[in-house]
Amino acid sequence: MLESKEVTKTFGAKTAVDHISLKLEKGHVYAMLGPNGSGKTTWMKLAAGLLKPTYGMVCFNGEQVSIESRKHVAYMSTEPYFYTWMTVKDVGKYYQDFFEDFSYDRYLKLLKQMELTEKLKTKALSSGMMAKLKIAVTMARDAQAYMLDEPFNGIDLLARDEIRACILSYATEDKLLLLSSHLVEEMEAIADRAVFISEGRLVECVDLEEMRTRQGVSMADRYRQIYGHTEG
Amino acid sequence: MFKLMKYEFRKTWITKLILLGITAAAEAAFLFNLYTDKEDGLAASIGILTVLAIFGVLFIGLQSVITLHRDMNTKQGYMLFMTPNSCYKVLGAKVLENGLSILVTGGFFFALGALDITLLFAKQGQLNQIWQMIQDFIKTINEEIPLTADALAAFTFSLLADWISIVVTAYLADVISAALLNGKSFNGVISFVIFLALNWAFGWLLGIATRSIPNVVTSMLVQGGISLLIAAVMYVLTAQIMEKKLSV
Repeated sequence: MLESKEVTKTFGAKTAVDHISLKLEKGHVYAMLGPNGSGKTTWMKLAAGLLKPTYGMVCFNGEQVSIESRKHVAYMSTEPYFYTWMTVKDVGKYYQDFFEDFSYDRYLKLLKQMELTEKLKTKALSSGMMAKLKIAVTMARDAQAYMLDEPFNGIDLLARDEIRACILSYATEDKLLLLSSHLVEEMEAIADRAVFISEGRLVECVDLEEMRTRQGVSMADRYRQIYGHTEG
Repeated sequence: MFKLMKYEFRKTWITKLILLGITAAAEAAFLFNLYTDKEDGLAASIGILTVLAIFGVLFIGLQSVITLHRDMNTKQGYMLFMTPNSCYKVLGAKVLENGLSILVTGGFFFALGALDITLLFAKQGQLNQIWQMIQDFIKTINEEIPLTADALAAFTFSLLADWISIVVTAYLADVISAALLNGKSFNGVISFVIFLALNWAFGWLLGIATRSIPNVVTSMLVQGGISLLIAAVMYVLTAQIMEKKLSV
């Protein structure tokens, strides 16, 4: 469904993503893991079409990411990105105007679940409320693939449970979910596959169940094995 | 495209509303001074309205360049560039919304000026004095323009079209800075030099194209037409760079 072919992205002398080749298939929830600056966010932005690769390409359903793929891939950036003049209602209307798969009714339901009201101004939202709004508006789309960059950032434990349940309700056979997070234990309860990235390079993409049964290693253990020396 | 234009308008409507509010206040002051025969106040309000007309149109163009810059250089740009719209559509909406805003604002001030001059004639009847004042003002801009309605309309059109082409050229310079020179030293200076050089070249081209046209009105209409054509070419070039090279 989502394929990265030798994708490289440099910013001046710095290589943020270095020849990453990777295939993500529908029907799975992927955890994208790696320390800060490992290239997770850059790769997601490349897959969302916000960044242009220096080399290689990202394909969605066999075609290079483009306007067409943006119709089917819902991307949530880790940074707040709504226009400051918008209210929560404006954000929903904006998505409704541009994404055919967006359901305003579902958006209202998610807002209620997240305890947000339509009249709130986005510039007045706390970081936790902003994180909830980003989740609500992204998950109100009926996309084929969801890419959520740090969805649990700034969210308290109780709200995290709600968000996790919301995300999992989308984990069906015809959808692909890709989440990045520093909260490895949190991700272990959601994901069935993990993509480990280090210094812009792909370390491995593994099936978590297989790893647990064959090697007796959990995702958190594997994370420690890979990054332990760098995070030390 | 209409939806994109709607949101481009939403980004700038407050400043447009403020401009309208200040203009309404200045117009009210003009009318008050006119009908209470306060000559000093009348001259001041005419001056304010003239400045508002010029800087209002200039500001609307500048604001549009600032908005594009913000869309390409802040996270808010994700709102625009993650939607399933090509850069041709995204930029086209900006060009159309801003072009229309400039034309409507210019047309509005032109009509308001015509109305105020008519009121001035009707109230004071000092035709020669007022006529001289208007002629002096126009001559400071271009000596060859005759003081007829069609010449003034053609002059307004060519000025507005020229401003639109300058704004779209500024879009190109800003996109070059964000897409091709991003992260490089002196990228702001280089893109500004590109902007100045292009405007100089277009001015030279307009001079050559209209030099042999004897009629001033025709010359201004041709100049306006060429300016819009330049704006269209700059738009295509800018959108192409955005589509192929822009990372936000």
